[in-house]
Amino acid sequence: MIHFKKKPRVAFFDFACCEGCQLSVLEMEEKLLDLLSHVEVVEWREVMSEKSDEYDIAFCEGSITRKRDVERIQSIRERAETLVSLGACASISCHNALKNRWPMKEVVEMVYGDSGGHIDTIPARPVSDVVPVDYQIRGCPVSLPEFETVFKHILTGQSYDPPNQPVCVECKLNDTLCVYEKGMVCLGPVTRCGCNAVCTAYGDACQGCRGLIDEANTEAPARVLFREDLHPIMAEVARKNPLTRKEILAKFTVYNDTSEPDEEEESSDDNA
Amino acid sequence: MAEPAKNQAVDRTRIFYVPERARVMTTRQEPSATFVELGFEDGRPLNHHPGQFVQVSVFGYGEAPISVCSSPTRPESFALCVQSMGNVSRAIADLTPGDWVGIRGPYGRGCFPIDRMKNKDVLLIAGGIGMAPLRGLIQFICDNRDDYGRFMVVYGAKTPSDILFREETEQWTENPDLDFYRTVDEPDDEWEGRTGVVTEPLKEIDIDPENTIAAACGPPVMFRFIAMDLLKKKLPEERIYFSLERRFKCGIGKCGHCQLNDLYVCQDGPVFRYADLLKRTEAGEVWAPEKDQDTA
Amino acid sequence: MTAPENRVIPASNFTRFLEAIMAEQPVIGPRERPDQPGFYRFGRLARAEDFAPDYGTTTVPPKKTFAALREKLFSFTLDSPPELDLHFDSSPFVLLGIHPCDLSGIDALDHAYSQPPAEVRWTANRRRASLIGLDCRPDSYCFCTQVGTESNRNPCDLFLTPMEDGYLVEVHSDAGAALLEKADTRKAGEEDEAAAEQWRREKAAGIVPEFDAPVEKIADILEVGGLTPVWKETADRCYSCGSCNTTCPTCFCFDMVDDIEPDLSGGARYRTWDSCQLLDFALVASGHNFRGERWQRVRHRWQRKFLYLYRQFDRPYCTGCGRCSRACTADINLVDVANRLIAAAQKEA
Repeated sequence: MIHFKKKPRVAFFDFACCEGCQLSVLEMEEKLLDLLSHVEVVEWREVMSEKSDEYDIAFCEGSITRKRDVERIQSIRERAETLVSLGACASISCHNALKNRWPMKEVVEMVYGDSGGHIDTIPARPVSDVVPVDYQIRGCPVSLPEFETVFKHILTGQSYDPPNQPVCVECKLNDTLCVYEKGMVCLGPVTRCGCNAVCTAYGDACQGCRGLIDEANTEAPARVLFREDLHPIMAEVARKNPLTRKEILAKFTVYNDTSEPDEEEESSDDNA
Repeated sequence: MAEPAKNQAVDRTRIFYVPERARVMTTRQEPSATFVELGFEDGRPLNHHPGQFVQVSVFGYGEAPISVCSSPTRPESFALCVQSMGNVSRAIADLTPGDWVGIRGPYGRGCFPIDRMKNKDVLLIAGGIGMAPLRGLIQFICDNRDDYGRFMVVYGAKTPSDILFREETEQWTENPDLDFYRTVDEPDDEWEGRTGVVTEPLKEIDIDPENTIAAACGPPVMFRFIAMDLLKKKLPEERIYFSLERRFKCGIGKCGHCQLNDLYVCQDGPVFRYADLLKRTEAGEVWAPEKDQDTA
Repeated sequence: MTAPENRVIPASNFTRFLEAIMAEQPVIGPRERPDQPGFYRFGRLARAEDFAPDYGTTTVPPKKTFAALREKLFSFTLDSPPELDLHFDSSPFVLLGIHPCDLSGIDALDHAYSQPPAEVRWTANRRRASLIGLDCRPDSYCFCTQVGTESNRNPCDLFLTPMEDGYLVEVHSDAGAALLEKADTRKAGEEDEAAAEQWRREKAAGIVPEFDAPVEKIADILEVGGLTPVWKETADRCYSCGSCNTTCPTCFCFDMVDDIEPDLSGGARYRTWDSCQLLDFALVASGHNFRGERWQRVRHRWQRKFLYLYRQFDRPYCTGCGRCSRACTADINLVDVANRLIAAAQKEA
């Protein structure tokens, strides 16, 4: 038996991001209308001008990259019964975290030269680093079937853990040709699925946008690609992708930068 | 392996994994668990064997394996006692009388050895939620009391407020049919009973190792200590039974989730002889004293 | 039935034969992937010309036609009481172009799923299909001769061996004989038999990888144990991605999940293939993971294929198709691991 909750109020918010995840959600079209019929949308900048400070479910896209983002997400958290991090930026910081490798002062200088003194920027963090998050929808952008699944889980009061299986599982369930067969290097074996392996279905390699699976064997690629007795398919992969160890690591860190964000700019200066 | 169930019902539905509808008759909040009493639409009994489990569906949430905690000697309904762990068990906990669920089963050919226990002394040990599957066996033995020798039950809960089936266990304390030992790890100010882990009262009990069969159910970490105590009492490994928990998906030895070396816990168990478990590395790695972890 | 004589069907007649079958029932067979020349998958043939008889291998084996990669088991309404509706299509079809190794994979699952209590969903799906086998040329991953499946015919109805013009056709069941009545064939002569024999010789000679001990020895080696270094060394490279399972013709583990409609009026329960190599496969509700270490999962796959199921059904649960080695992006080769196990055991002894 599903015991329905009262019609909850839903709001969408965004932080540092391209707002592409929200745009993707709109692409659900009729199906979105079905889902939204169970809720009342009270704020969603991309589609309506109304705003509200009263909502039950908050979908938050984007990373936390400014001091005032911290205050804003905290106030959203206080108001919302349920908080959802929408997309890679909100869930794992995505490309935004690349700047965390440098002190914030240098980052500002790199982009704005001398005129960036007023820029309020702190190391990028996922929403869950700042406030507790109830649901995570990963992906750059989010996958619509997964958005639908999470939405239905929220409506029926079920928890949702982002799948802890690699993209290879979904890729094989789709009977897709492995891109390694075409000499490409793919992050599917270490990346969380939930995307229905959409990139490989279209012949592209997985870039790892949903983050690493738990206990991902990130040592394996170097152990594999530098072996001398590789079988023909893998030998072709290694030949077509003459990567250094550093380049392999770089592939892993595009979406998964684990550089420690420095809380204070002062301390970043010290580290520099 | 424990004895196969004698009166295993012909399961009309499992062939295609479609469950049968059953209705919630009563529900009751137990400490950190929910007690749910169910009946089939046509009123037929579940026909289970103590130790078996059913696959319970809450449609839209999924399916989960749950031990039956009532006795087949009381066939007008069957009962489950469920701890909220995941989405399905939470949904089961939210059920109210009149709600519908789906049932597949009962499953498990390895049950509590009620035939082998006949005319023998029986020692049952329950830790925490492990009381649920044993409750059905306790009821069964009480309902067939003349068939069994001495009947001893040890039950350990974490705190007094965690004690399951409070009223019923209080009756067992008074019941001359069984010697009931109840203990809590962490007593509160009101508690006047025993304190200590479940193996504490076990140490006091004198058993006739030639004529006793023991069965235990509880968290896996408990098994090693119980086994050590029972072995100290000279009870042989082949007369000690453990009921195991795994994440059964199919219940019929196909989906692979519950495989323990060459055994399917759902089919060959869920109740196993300790002697059989010790031969399996994946159980031995958990429950046996250290030994080479790589012999199959 | 008495062993019927072999027949020969010329290439032009074969096309007409296929068309005659396709007029009556769907035919599923190997097809070239669109926009990916040289790569194949099993799928419904739209025209007789779609059949790719010289395909090497496919990513996923043809078992997917009997237990779909993702399949709806039944649907339910969220009414009180809920209405349950079994989802099952019983219409017949022909599965064409199955190599001896993949026939052996279907045979393996026939055994496993019919073990009481049987999974009737599989057996009912199997009854829908007529199987037409096809002999093949090995690639560098194939090792069927090492597990004895190179000449397997079970459980096919008809079996084709390619010839210069057409096929030599073996009839293996009454259903196969009935199907072949649609074809214009001639009796196979000595020359035809010799040509087929030549094909089989060349095929066996083309197999490169070799076990350093007979396959039945591997069961003994696994039973004795003491192989932890090999498991750990293999696990060092393993991603635990599960592709060796999801592409395996003899793997049959699965998971079941519910999904509900966006209007929340009802939903369905689905089954998907699962993999024992995935981290959470043997996790239980209390949080204990029975195979939490990568090497334990690697070991489990080997014990299952070459020990437990081997002993239970008296055959290795490996068909020598080489898909797991091909799919492994860590380049872990089954034959290579087998030989390291054999070497480790010899060193122990």
